[in-house]
Amino acid sequence: MEKVIMGNHAVSYGIQLARAQVIAAYPITPQTQIVEMLSEFCADGLLDAKFIKVESEHSAMAATVGASFAGARACTATSSHGLALMHEVLHWAAGSRLPIVMANVNRAMGPGWSVWTEQTDSLAQRDTGWLQFYCETNQEVLDTVIQAFKIAETIFLPIMVVLDAFVLSHTQEPVDIPDQATVDSFLPPYEAKFRLQPGDPRAFGGLLAPDHYMEMRYKMQRAMEEAVAVTSQVGAEFGKVFGRSYDVVEKYRMDDAEIVLVTCSSITSTSRVVVDELRTKGEKVGLLKMRLFRPFPFAAVQEALAGAKKVAVVDRNISFGHGGIFAAEIKSALYGGAHHPLIFPFIIGLGGRDVTPQSIRNIVSYTQEHDKPGEDIIWMEVKR
Amino acid sequence: MSEKIVFKTEADMPLLPMSLDTTLYNKTGSWRYVRPIYRDKTPPCNQACPAGEDIVAYLRLVDKGEYEQARQRILEENPFPGVCGRVCGHPCESECNRAQLGGAIAIHAMERFLADLPLERKLLTPEPTAPAGAKVAVIGSGPAGLSCAYQLARRGYHVTVFEALPVAGGMMRVGIPSYRLPREVLDAEIAAIAALGVEIRTGMRLGENFSWEHLNAYGAVFLAVGQHRSRKLNVPGEDAQGVLPGLDFLRQVNLGQKVKVGPQVAVIGGGNTAMDAARSALRLGADVTVLYRRSRKEMPAISEEIEEAEQEGVRLEYLSAPVEILTARKKVTGLRCVRMRLGEPDESGRRRPEPIAGSEYTIEDVDTVIPALGQEADLSFLDKGVRTRGDMIVTNEAGTTSRQALFAGGDAATGFGTVAHAIGSGKRAALAIDKFLRGEALDDFPPLTEHVHAAPRDVDPTVVHFEDLNLAYFTEEERTPQPQRAVSERIKDFGEVNLGFAEKDALCEAERCFSCGTCNQCDTCWLYCPDVCILRVDHEGYEVNYDYCKGCGVCVEECPRDAISMEEELKWRK
Amino acid sequence: MSYDIEERELMYSGHVACPGCGAPMAMRYALKALGENTVVVIPASCWSIIAGPFPYSAVQVPLLHTLFETGGSMAAGVKAGLEARGLKDTTVMTWAGDGGTFDIGLQSLSAAVERNEDFIYVCYDNEAYMNTGIQRSSATPWGAWTTTTPVRHPKEQPKKDMMAIMAAHRIPYTATATVAYAEDFVRKVRKAKNIRGSKFLHVLSPCPPGWKSEPAYSVRISRLAVQTRVFPLYEIENGEKYTINVWPKERVPVEEYLGLQGRFAHLKPEDIQTIQENVDREWEKLVAKARASGQEIPD
Repeated sequence: MEKVIMGNHAVSYGIQLARAQVIAAYPITPQTQIVEMLSEFCADGLLDAKFIKVESEHSAMAATVGASFAGARACTATSSHGLALMHEVLHWAAGSRLPIVMANVNRAMGPGWSVWTEQTDSLAQRDTGWLQFYCETNQEVLDTVIQAFKIAETIFLPIMVVLDAFVLSHTQEPVDIPDQATVDSFLPPYEAKFRLQPGDPRAFGGLLAPDHYMEMRYKMQRAMEEAVAVTSQVGAEFGKVFGRSYDVVEKYRMDDAEIVLVTCSSITSTSRVVVDELRTKGEKVGLLKMRLFRPFPFAAVQEALAGAKKVAVVDRNISFGHGGIFAAEIKSALYGGAHHPLIFPFIIGLGGRDVTPQSIRNIVSYTQEHDKPGEDIIWMEVKR
Repeated sequence: MSEKIVFKTEADMPLLPMSLDTTLYNKTGSWRYVRPIYRDKTPPCNQACPAGEDIVAYLRLVDKGEYEQARQRILEENPFPGVCGRVCGHPCESECNRAQLGGAIAIHAMERFLADLPLERKLLTPEPTAPAGAKVAVIGSGPAGLSCAYQLARRGYHVTVFEALPVAGGMMRVGIPSYRLPREVLDAEIAAIAALGVEIRTGMRLGENFSWEHLNAYGAVFLAVGQHRSRKLNVPGEDAQGVLPGLDFLRQVNLGQKVKVGPQVAVIGGGNTAMDAARSALRLGADVTVLYRRSRKEMPAISEEIEEAEQEGVRLEYLSAPVEILTARKKVTGLRCVRMRLGEPDESGRRRPEPIAGSEYTIEDVDTVIPALGQEADLSFLDKGVRTRGDMIVTNEAGTTSRQALFAGGDAATGFGTVAHAIGSGKRAALAIDKFLRGEALDDFPPLTEHVHAAPRDVDPTVVHFEDLNLAYFTEEERTPQPQRAVSERIKDFGEVNLGFAEKDALCEAERCFSCGTCNQCDTCWLYCPDVCILRVDHEGYEVNYDYCKGCGVCVEECPRDAISMEEELKWRK
Repeated sequence: MSYDIEERELMYSGHVACPGCGAPMAMRYALKALGENTVVVIPASCWSIIAGPFPYSAVQVPLLHTLFETGGSMAAGVKAGLEARGLKDTTVMTWAGDGGTFDIGLQSLSAAVERNEDFIYVCYDNEAYMNTGIQRSSATPWGAWTTTTPVRHPKEQPKKDMMAIMAAHRIPYTATATVAYAEDFVRKVRKAKNIRGSKFLHVLSPCPPGWKSEPAYSVRISRLAVQTRVFPLYEIENGEKYTINVWPKERVPVEEYLGLQGRFAHLKPEDIQTIQENVDREWEKLVAKARASGQEIPD
């Protein structure tokens, strides 16, 4: 059924169709519509889930972890400071190998208060053991939420589905909402591998000495590595069932591209428009959309950028004392390979400053006009 | 049992940190340096009982409603619970720790309750140890003699008891009046001993009705002749008509002979004989005064006897002693006495009475004087060569005399003067005779001030005192009194004064017992062990699982009755 | 059996609690009362270690170790998850220390009980952060030594009144308990099990190393806490009905309780006097509440 819905509601529909059993969430702008619609689904009997109205995001993730340990399909949603508050529990969820799905609306961190979109909040959690998917459209949001449950319940690691504040969360787009029966055929009920079960007494999360800790972490990393292939498989399967395929990255008009823009989230849509425009002018510009950020799809990125001379990475985030995070990760992905294109690390749009087609044109121009990046961070549109 | 788990590769490990087994692999017993040991200690009642009864054991059995077994436990050590439960001075109660929290347990009444139960009286017979055809002679059928005969007969010996008087029982028969000890009770307990095959021959006085040579036929002889002679007053007028030595008076009364006393009787003395004589005289219609040379506190008589005598109308005059019996025409007419004062303590520990010069006074209208100043043994029958000291036969801890195969016990050898001591003494001699006749050495008998046990008891000799108990587990509960016949009724006859406990009274007292030093499976240790290493062994007690015990000591501290001790671990780790 | 307590053991030996620790005693009683159909949630505290390291467990029920401040939130999630799976009768019990209850965990506890989540929250209170080496918490009593309230600067604030805080949430049931009164403790756990909604138990749990007391005296000290009225045993139903469970017969001075613990050894007579006055005052307030609730007050 096609509906024009905001990105937040796309999350709600995704969770409803996935038949989540326990939701624990705390309101934060700009996530609130996700949980409001879910509350209505529960109240109207459209979703048979227990909704725990916790008093903080730390408790939201803790309750979600508890429910998942109890063997229920559990999920939550948050943003920015809420995500930051959850930080220690994110480690606990991943280390507990729980298939939790969380939607995070990318929002800038304060101070001062900012509700507008930026990627730093989710990227700052990149070491916790969670998978991270960055969504370009509201359709992708809904589709990715459903895939996330399947992927998580295969590899037993939690997954963060990320969407831009306001640009996606509050912007209405046409979305094809699948029917329940089809989703059920794609996503069977959750069967926990290990869970709290009276009669099968196990202690979870006890003291883990140096003798054993590393192997547990080794296992997590191995699961992360497997997740790349699983993501591709599930994305392809999704395509067969619903008619829309997904993969870890998407190459757009990259066949002979000399300059490749690397983007994620809604900036990708904007960039597609600019790439098309430049292509009509004969410019050999291509676009690499990063969909899966964790685990980092090394092989796909290396393959995609094999022919590029210059790579313009568009970071809507910053790791202070270093620079744009995607840029750093891409550089590290390419380091060991034979081919080392020039990486132009751009930072733009922090705190929700609008990224327009002109911004992207400027990025491409800069890249074309400079033989070398020249700086560790190429700041765009900063008043200085 | 859990073993420590070792993983070879990460593939062997679970997906996440999750338990695969219990903590039982971890033997925390290695932590401790002290360990708790379950070992019963000696309750003060058991230590005090001259008959060597296991009082705490039979109180526990009563608490469980196992009356038959409780009685058996007494009979193991003492064939006369019916007697002792009526006449004993109950030193057990004087030592009872419960005295400090509501009143001593009424052990005395409990013993009587068990003795009186209408159950078939089955005296126990343990494994016979007697060599074939072994014969033992016992001289005297008092408590010492019959206790000895009983313990030997149980072990398969053929025992003949020679009794000088026409009736058996010794002091139990002739010294103690029937209002304290009904004849039927005594008869039944003697009959039960005879039923074991013990031959009791009355009217047989050694040296008169039979000779020492006759005794050569026996492998061993036990002398238990008691102390049946009254000490003399040694004052002028003592040979007048109306002066009746206390023991003689009682013997006549208790043998059913007609005795003329009164109407004004003065009894001299403060012991049980004095009380028995006074109360018997009262029942024969006399007006009775007891004169005692010390104060009430020093009176050796059982305190209940003194109280009952007073209730019945016996007058007690303290710190007074006769200096002359006044007579007219060789009949007693009065008493000349002197007031006494208490000076320094004498060898018995009691303060020495000293006459107050110039304090003489006369008691007029006395027609009967009954001196009850103490007992002596008549050892005139004794063969030369058997060593004596004063009026007592010299024995060692095993009851042996200076002559081979000749043993002695009871008052004639020890002078302790109570039925319970005599029973203990007879038992000691029986155990010694048994060893002697089997050719074993007679060492390791405890001193005469301690007591022997017929049934072995694996108990720490340390006595548990009130401070050793954990009072958090006990509340103050009052002692159950024993009902008695009303005074106005009972002084009219020689019927029994005490009426004995009903079952509910016995249960009440048994429940009040602290069970000092003796585990009674209250579960407190089991309850509080933080390491779940005290295991209940049904009907028997507890076991410490030393694999895990950390030696914290909570069990020892909480045990209400000090039945657990802490010992150093090193001692056990050899 | 002499005590009205379930026989079956659901806790194993081999756990690593200090000798004489009150915490395993308390857990043992709680599990006996609750039975096998129970899930225990343990936030960071001594029991995180007592339960044994990976891959072992000291209890015969499912156990979820969790983050320090998540005693309320984790349990709510567990309960919701179990119910979603159809396990509606499984008891969820949070087993948290005083740190995880009075301090860092207070927020999520308050939220969980405000929502009247159906679980039992047990705070086993050894009156300081013992697992990290005896640092003060808001449950540490006035005047007590800890490593962060050393003898020259002992704790100046009174112990936080957690029972009042829980009562203020008007939850169906809240009660104090301690290890010496094991039958009372078990009765309360059984009662809690049969109530739907939030139940809170505040259990005083002696700690020999932290209280500087003899391991063998832990039960005795726990008993004295009640008898001196330092830690009265009482229940509050629906935030308003007070029932005192144990009425100490004699007036036992607080010195008898304090005197067994080295953490109070530095107190001067006037300090002990202050403590006695505080205890007496709090007791009178409690008695007044019980009387107002309709309880018969013995003489």
